[in-house]
Amino acid sequence: MTGYILRRILQLLPVLLIASTGIWAMIYAVPGNPVAAMVGENATPEHIEALTIRLGLDKPIHVQYWSWLTHALQGDFGLSIQNREPVLDLIAQRIPATIQLGLAATLIGLLLGVPVAVVSALKPGGWLDRTLSGWSALALGVPTFWLGILLILLFAVNLRWLPSASAYVSILDSPWQALRNTLLPALTLGVYVSGIFARFLRASLLGELKADYVRTARSKGLPERDVIGRHVMRNALLPFVTIVGLMMATFIGGTVVTEAVFTYPGLGRLLIQAIGTRDYPLIQGCILFILVVFVLINLAVDVLYAYIDPRIDYG
Amino acid sequence: MSASWQRSAEVLGRVCQRKGALLGLLFLAGLMLMTSLARWILPFDPLTQDFGATLQGPSSVHWFGTDELGRDMLARVVYGARTSLVTAAGAVTIAALVGVPIGLVAGFFGGWRDTLLMRFVDVLLSLPGILFAMALIAVLGRSQTAALVAVGITGIPSFARITRAQVLSLRKRDFVTAVEALGGSASYNMYTTVLPNSWSPILVQVVILSSVAILIEASLAFLGVGIPPPTPSWGEMLRTGKSYLYDAPTYAILPGLVLTLTILSLDTIGRALASVLADRHESAASIDPAAGSRP
Repeated sequence: MTGYILRRILQLLPVLLIASTGIWAMIYAVPGNPVAAMVGENATPEHIEALTIRLGLDKPIHVQYWSWLTHALQGDFGLSIQNREPVLDLIAQRIPATIQLGLAATLIGLLLGVPVAVVSALKPGGWLDRTLSGWSALALGVPTFWLGILLILLFAVNLRWLPSASAYVSILDSPWQALRNTLLPALTLGVYVSGIFARFLRASLLGELKADYVRTARSKGLPERDVIGRHVMRNALLPFVTIVGLMMATFIGGTVVTEAVFTYPGLGRLLIQAIGTRDYPLIQGCILFILVVFVLINLAVDVLYAYIDPRIDYG
Repeated sequence: MSASWQRSAEVLGRVCQRKGALLGLLFLAGLMLMTSLARWILPFDPLTQDFGATLQGPSSVHWFGTDELGRDMLARVVYGARTSLVTAAGAVTIAALVGVPIGLVAGFFGGWRDTLLMRFVDVLLSLPGILFAMALIAVLGRSQTAALVAVGITGIPSFARITRAQVLSLRKRDFVTAVEALGGSASYNMYTTVLPNSWSPILVQVVILSSVAILIEASLAFLGVGIPPPTPSWGEMLRTGKSYLYDAPTYAILPGLVLTLTILSLDTIGRALASVLADRHESAASIDPAAGSRP
């Protein structure tokens, strides 16, 4: 097991190295002078030169790379151009909001998706299965930003139950305000993932229902509830864990669009603002951070999967 | 050639037998027809402003209402379809032209070429597609080309993986090893034996990825980093419409509805195609689960 984990980490290193080099090299691919692009049109040459020196862009390229890499490894992504705060601090401020939204969305996705999958897998091809498959297709096909707008129109503009712009309120500080603010964005994302969850779990359940042990369990007279609950569900949930984990990994950076709809102050909005102001250290920091977390969650999911499924050969 | 035409017609017929896919095909055909005839059949131009008639709801004059500059929304939605379809077609072409050869070489040769190429694909997959596209646009600046390339690159991994899987399943089949035994060169074998037998899953991927490409293009526009205005784009319309939810709710509803129907149509057609091709035992036309990943 330890060997398997170590091997997976070793496989990740080149991917991380190449990807981080790509992120570092971004700034050199900007057409024209990147520093001029950052400071805007009204900057004086002295201003540009000062920033060039501050960013270390006057040094030889290999020195720049080495310095960037060693600093990044220590979590130092430099200072934001816009407000001169350390990039890592700006990112850290946004993390709780993104995590709260991601967890809430996963929860809603599971609450909607799992029953849909179980009900449709029990009678595949029936009218209920076809209706529920339609739900999955709809959940996956409706763009999150459009669904978000529709939800705002209904719950904020017409009914006036919930705010149209969502602030971040920690669930630990004020559960009621947190619920009011997080519900709509979480529902928007949750509906989408419920489609993914339902499709995968249904396929996984159908696969298990064909297995010999199900026939054995039924033929020895086990009630259907136990056949499904004790035997089929347990086995079907294994591959499902992977999907749930992957979706949570995507949420770390992938809530960008939903955050934009609800002006929710998460990591995605920070990145969008950084792109808007061409704040390259902040852009690089955000993307590298999201990349590392995304890759690590993927790794954790693989390891967890190997751990709970003894059939996986990780020798 | 006539045999392959006959086969294509048969597959299309089977796809049309499924109600959902038929509806999807009809919707897309209607949309394309309107887009190509827009200049002659629509009463308004998508860019003409009329400050006497801003933010109107649907009426007999402006069927979809007007936007904040008094531009006709129906015209903008129809011209927006052109932007979406052209971007999707271009992006999927880029993705296939790069991804399919990667999968072909990786699967056919295996060994270090496989490791190297699939690591490259892993790097592309190490970020959610939309973030990759945003990073690229942050570098290249906002333009039609940047959006096209950014969306295209996000589709490369799907094509590479699907093609590789298909090639791996064909690699040890008799008709492939026979060409090898007869002294056919590797490239001859790849392009005349393996590739022609890999079309089914690639075709399914083309349809599915078109819907993903349309979604990513619209998402980028919604975030304000897509194709720059005044080019009509559905995502941009939703972005602006969101500011006028109280005054003109249909502004954000109608473009989103057309966008959603387009995505659903392509997705339904893709899935019907996959199951028709799988029924024909042509191949295990599988759908890459990662293909649907998105914001």
